[in-house]
Amino acid sequence: MDINMSKLTKDLGKIVGKEHVFTDKPTAVVYAKDTMPWDVEEKNIPYAVVRPSNSQEISKILKYANEKLIPVHIHGSGTSLVGLARPKTKGIVLDTARMKKINVYPERGYFEVEPGLHLVQVKKELAKYNALLPLFPGSELVATIGGTVAVNTSAHGVDAALGKPGDFVLGFEVVLPTGEIIYTGTESTRRAAGIDPTKFFVGSEGLLGVLTLLRIRLLPLPYFKQIVAYYNKTEDIIDTVMEMYKQGIHPPLFYEFLDERAAKIGFEAVGLEEPIGAVAMMRVHSWSKVGSEDKAQNFLKFLQVGNPIEAKIVEDIDEWNLIWSSRAEAGNYMYRLGMTFGSEISPRVDKLREAFHEAQLIVKNLKSYNNAEFISFGHIGAPTIHAYAFIPTKDISNDLKKALTLEMREKTEDLNIKYGGCGGEWGLTAQRVSFLKKKYGESLYELLVRMKKALDPNDILNRGNLQGWI
Amino acid sequence: MDIKESQSLRDTLLKEIAKCRACRFCIDVCPAYQASEWVENMSPYGRLQILKYLINGTLEEDDPLIYSLYSCLQCGRCDRLCKAKGQNLEVANLIRLGKYLLSQGLVKGKKSEKV
Repeated sequence: MDINMSKLTKDLGKIVGKEHVFTDKPTAVVYAKDTMPWDVEEKNIPYAVVRPSNSQEISKILKYANEKLIPVHIHGSGTSLVGLARPKTKGIVLDTARMKKINVYPERGYFEVEPGLHLVQVKKELAKYNALLPLFPGSELVATIGGTVAVNTSAHGVDAALGKPGDFVLGFEVVLPTGEIIYTGTESTRRAAGIDPTKFFVGSEGLLGVLTLLRIRLLPLPYFKQIVAYYNKTEDIIDTVMEMYKQGIHPPLFYEFLDERAAKIGFEAVGLEEPIGAVAMMRVHSWSKVGSEDKAQNFLKFLQVGNPIEAKIVEDIDEWNLIWSSRAEAGNYMYRLGMTFGSEISPRVDKLREAFHEAQLIVKNLKSYNNAEFISFGHIGAPTIHAYAFIPTKDISNDLKKALTLEMREKTEDLNIKYGGCGGEWGLTAQRVSFLKKKYGESLYELLVRMKKALDPNDILNRGNLQGWI
Repeated sequence: MDIKESQSLRDTLLKEIAKCRACRFCIDVCPAYQASEWVENMSPYGRLQILKYLINGTLEEDDPLIYSLYSCLQCGRCDRLCKAKGQNLEVANLIRLGKYLLSQGLVKGKKSEKV
């Protein structure tokens, strides 16, 4: 595509102000990079980064992009772990960082927020109203609320305990790919039955529109109780999770674990005594203090089913913070020692044990790298298996980084298909296309393409993600 | 600094910056990022990426690049954040060394290239 750069700069400058348009290469490279392990390539580097402040400006940008047939890639904070955030083709990056307004309306039972506000800032604002933000990604320091709802991620939260972000969204202002501004949903706390276009945009990954205002239900802050359980082996934790669902026990809001290796790394990293084996950490919630205490006691009793070495309620919040942070630190420290190539398998619950064993075999038998080490930690109660291949060096080529990523992706896709999963929250379109075709067939994939085309006839927004481009 | 030493410095920088996961956790603590109305190349993450792509030849020295690297105030808040939540990189020091390479003309670019 031939682009007249000076005209592009001038045209975009007329829409958002010239100080909010960047066409220099250093800025473009910074916005092209995401957390995927290989370097940015020329095709990823956008022509321009444009930073609008409201939906009218976004509307004009998208109308302009349609007229000129230039792809537009939406950028929140670029924290997606699975490639969603990297532009797949040259175009305009639309950064939502200047859109950070928030208004809380306790008398209406909701708050309204623009997409670019970081989750930690939303939490801070809601805390003034004793309200919970029901979104729990590990990247909350910088992840934007627009991006989190656009991918509909529960992250650390167990879906069966509280639901997914979309369950709390009452409505949106959305700019469609062709530039029309629409409003969906309700200002009541009662949502519509039947067809509610709000649902189309929850989890739409920026393929169907740009979320410019989100209206989200206010949830009262619950009471929490924390539990930690130490086990001889990971299998005991897995059996406990399977039994929890089988017995119909209400799951904790957070149910994380560290396998034997990750527990050692994570506990050492935060200065705790090295555990004997694997560790599970849980957080139960209730809308009353008595309820949370009762729930924690009951769950503690239930945990005996998995023969833990020790299981206890953690009252000391400092101790809990250390235990909880060991999980994030395990990941950080592994990355300091080398590289990790991750995956997500979210199997049918009664197949969790089999799926975990097969995931271990996948890592041990990788073709693109011999002797990768298997490590696992994460939201086992969801259930999610994050199977990581750890290699003890960063000094490998871009090609090998890609090969390892793709081999892990392909083989864990097969496991998700075998055991009834969907790839969980790492199952986003940027890495999901081959999975969709394998699991559901060409017809379903074609349906998604037709849906996209109905809203975005020129394939302007986030081009390449639905095509499976890398 | 002779050619051998400057190469060694470039290699060290590349090796250190390779540890950055591009998590961007450091961006919000940077006063220059806040003052720029949240432009990512005015953040610690952005400066590290720019430095990496400058040294590996993807970028060349130009005004926006200099503006980004020199917007660092060396306050070190990113170091503390990276230690607590990231990869324990000495971000401010890496940027300082990058600026030194620039000032000595030891990177590719029209202005002062010696390499």
